Amino acid sequence: MSQRQGRERVLWLLIAVLMVAIVLVALLWKTPDEPVSATHTQLPLAAAPVGGDFSLSREGDAFALSDYRGQVVLLYFGYTFCPDVCPTSLALMRQALRELTPEQLAQVQGVFVSVDPQRDTPARLAEYTHFFHPRIMGVSGSEEQLAEAGQLYGAAWARAESDSAMGYSVDHSSSTYVIDPAGKLVSILPHGASAQRIIETVLPLINNEE
Amino acid sequence: MKRLFVLLVLMMSLAVANAADHAQGMHAAVKVHSPFVRLMPPTQPNTGAFMVLENTGKKDLNLVSAESDVSKVVELHDHVMVDGMMRMREIEKVTIPAGQRAELKPGSLHVMLIGLHQPLQDGQMVDITLVFDDGSRHGIQAPVRHPGGEMMPMHGHKH
Repeated sequence: MSQRQGRERVLWLLIAVLMVAIVLVALLWKTPDEPVSATHTQLPLAAAPVGGDFSLSREGDAFALSDYRGQVVLLYFGYTFCPDVCPTSLALMRQALRELTPEQLAQVQGVFVSVDPQRDTPARLAEYTHFFHPRIMGVSGSEEQLAEAGQLYGAAWARAESDSAMGYSVDHSSSTYVIDPAGKLVSILPHGASAQRIIETVLPLINNEE
Repeated sequence: MKRLFVLLVLMMSLAVANAADHAQGMHAAVKVHSPFVRLMPPTQPNTGAFMVLENTGKKDLNLVSAESDVSKVVELHDHVMVDGMMRMREIEKVTIPAGQRAELKPGSLHVMLIGLHQPLQDGQMVDITLVFDDGSRHGIQAPVRHPGGEMMPMHGHKH
């Protein structure tokens, strides 16, 4: 074997090793992708929330937020056909309420405002909210009443037609408004706020003596 | 002659590596963790199914559809935030990158069961078939659970 042939063989071997290495790297290479499910970030608000009293109706009767002085109100705007956002939020509210003692619970009222009065009959609304917790009530009203309440708290919603088999949906902000026993808006919990965070927000506002 | 041999070995190793990779893609390389269906009030026509999908293969996989006998329609959905409002929309696929997980959870990606034939019962097992873009199908059983039934792990919070 000549020297030239020998060198050539070494070169070929090197090329072969290199190619195998490239193939291996290509097969094993994983691009580090972003996690698929993104977490929700805090919602920008539709209007500067100032809070305040509003009137709606509850199971055919008048509902006035001012009737709930002395209690902490957890206020949420949604609708019962809401496929996922509202159940997620109400489940978190339920988790928080279930952690309270009966004395604490008596001082907290969940209020679910339906922004879809067209489909949410009072009976349907009552069944829906009680399913999550007996201390959550469902209220709604005319478009004008709803708009007024929404504006006070910076809640926003818009009907959205879709190709989904579910019919129209209502896009909406998903914050929980925490109103203290004096009727003052003290905190706005972003969508997905944990039960623990709800509890930590509520407890300082109520009388915790046994 | 020797050159030819080296080339041959190289080509064979390529073919073997390729075949191994392909085989892994063909068998559903997906593991499904802790699936559940959300219990809803009996008048609710729709509900969601949630789970964690793990792609143990070397190729990205896409969940392209799901099937179930409990509802008229099954769709894949996700949320986006538009103008401060949560917008839920049907999506075409859920990508599970190779070696990674995709979490289908409340308030995020999920399988929508639309037009339930009858109200689901707490604890009932729901059969769902997941269909992936490599043609593989993966049957799972998801228990129906009340939402907010259990508290998330907390740090020293006890009564």
